[in-house]
Amino acid sequence: MAANRWLATGNFFITYKEEQRTFLTSLDRLIFSIFLSALFIWPIFFSLSRPYMLVINNILIAVIAVLGLNLVTGFAGLISIGHAAFVGVGAYTVASFSRVLGDSHFLITHMWPLLILAGGTAGAITGAIVGLPSLRLKHLYLAIATLSFQMIFEWVIKFMTFFNQGQTISVGRVTWFTGDIGRNDHYTFWYYVALVLIVLLGFGIRNLFKTRYGRALVAVRDNDRAADAMGMHPGFTKVYAFALSGFFAGVAGAVHAFLYKGAGIESFTLHHSITYLAMAIVGGLGTINGSFWGPAAIEILNLQVEKFSEYAANYLPSAMNLATALRPFTFGLVIVLFLMFEPRGIANWWRIVKSYTKTWPFRY
Amino acid sequence: MTYLNISEVTLSFGGLNALSHVNMAIEKGLITSIIGPNGAGKTSMLNCISGFYHPTEGQINYCGKNLTHSSPHEVSSMGIARAFQNLELFRGLSVLDNLLLARHIKLKYNFFEALIFWGKASRVEAENRKFVEEVIDFMELEPYRKSLVGNLSYGVQKKVEVARALTLDPDLLLLDEPMAGMNLEEKEDIVRFIMDIQKERGVTVVLVEHDLGVVMDISDRIHVLDFGQLIGSGTPEEVASNPKVIEAYIGNE
Repeated sequence: MAANRWLATGNFFITYKEEQRTFLTSLDRLIFSIFLSALFIWPIFFSLSRPYMLVINNILIAVIAVLGLNLVTGFAGLISIGHAAFVGVGAYTVASFSRVLGDSHFLITHMWPLLILAGGTAGAITGAIVGLPSLRLKHLYLAIATLSFQMIFEWVIKFMTFFNQGQTISVGRVTWFTGDIGRNDHYTFWYYVALVLIVLLGFGIRNLFKTRYGRALVAVRDNDRAADAMGMHPGFTKVYAFALSGFFAGVAGAVHAFLYKGAGIESFTLHHSITYLAMAIVGGLGTINGSFWGPAAIEILNLQVEKFSEYAANYLPSAMNLATALRPFTFGLVIVLFLMFEPRGIANWWRIVKSYTKTWPFRY
Repeated sequence: MTYLNISEVTLSFGGLNALSHVNMAIEKGLITSIIGPNGAGKTSMLNCISGFYHPTEGQINYCGKNLTHSSPHEVSSMGIARAFQNLELFRGLSVLDNLLLARHIKLKYNFFEALIFWGKASRVEAENRKFVEEVIDFMELEPYRKSLVGNLSYGVQKKVEVARALTLDPDLLLLDEPMAGMNLEEKEDIVRFIMDIQKERGVTVVLVEHDLGVVMDISDRIHVLDFGQLIGSGTPEEVASNPKVIEAYIGNE
């Protein structure tokens, strides 16, 4: 009997290679392709207003950053409270080029993909250095070490004249094959760049977790003593986890700098680190698809809270003060509720939905 | 040249000598047991060999290589695998993933090949999976292949622990009380596995075990420790008739 490739039922694997595929059924692959092409095509037919486009771009950038955070915190089990600082390293790498060469130098307008890569590399190197304490420290103590990196980063940026003391350093607009990217196309253009990066990095991670480089991360999370006995160098693996996560954050930061046409310290504060952590928790720590759910959920929640507080301010002018308090309050509440009732995050809902459809068309 | 040579090993924690001047020679291809009353230093001995502890004095040589100061991951890449007494499995992963993890050092492809996962990495992983399936087959773990290790019963987890050590494809297998807390049936299973490991795979086994019946039946050589000192060694018959050993286990008068 020819094996059925469309449904999970009756899809028998004959070789181990077949079991390695990213999409186990053709239906999965079809749904994914349709979804992905929809993501690529919709900006042609609809044009959203610039604030909404910015929110979507923010979500995409957060997805890249949270993918990295999930690697180090979700998969390798090392809590990092300095993730926004790694994002900042990426952004300030681009900004430094702009500061030295001028904000519309050829390198920035034409060689920007290289600069994104440079941002990622800078993030990875910083990640490896910040990861060094993980050779000795564990759990909360390590979290404090990463927190101190966040503080050092903010301090360095705020006090160095080279970094404009935390004031925005502008980065020029870029050029594509179609010509200069103007004001109207700016957000759409970076939407596509971020989307392509997410697809590349996402598949990269998927592949990585089928190999020893991904499994080693999970091994040091679950039991680093046993990982040691299995021939992995736990210290090296932890530093490598930080470097990998730093790379993702750096890429996110570089895109952020280009999108906002500049880098300023206010986007890379402790508050943002906590927000990234919240996104990872709400999405589901230790899952790849959680890194997509989390940022989307938190950013949309953010938008709703903002809208609600504007609405409330119409009726109660004094509620403007309340509105500033409302955002941290809702964030806190959402995190607490998720930790209490769904510690495995939105990704777990996705898993449950998938498990229901697994046996289709049979009942069990 | 002996296979694994432990000479004059002393391990002290502050004033306490967990091991004092222990000499042992472990021969290739045999099942060697280390026995002794509680707190005699059996597990410390295994920890010294596998690199979790480093002896304060003395030397451990394996095939002519000095591994006195090697760390666990260096020791395991020399072909010494170890199963833990208190389960040290990767609890959040399936049995299959636990075993795949143990193949870490055997997989030869670089990071970028892993990212692309096309050609070499994919081929190596398929071969790797094949090897792991052979171990699963050998240890009769087929029903549990995809289940989370944390949800399995204690007996099965112990079996996974042995299987994981075996997946490293070792020359020397250190088993720390693989039968502790098991019922008779499970014990018989494990004993059969240990004998198969030695006979079919040609693996040298070092066994730490409390069940003297089992030890006397399957061991080729026995070393007896008491309060960190080696009080007797030899074949089961020699050890059983050694007055010092009898004294340590039964006491005198």
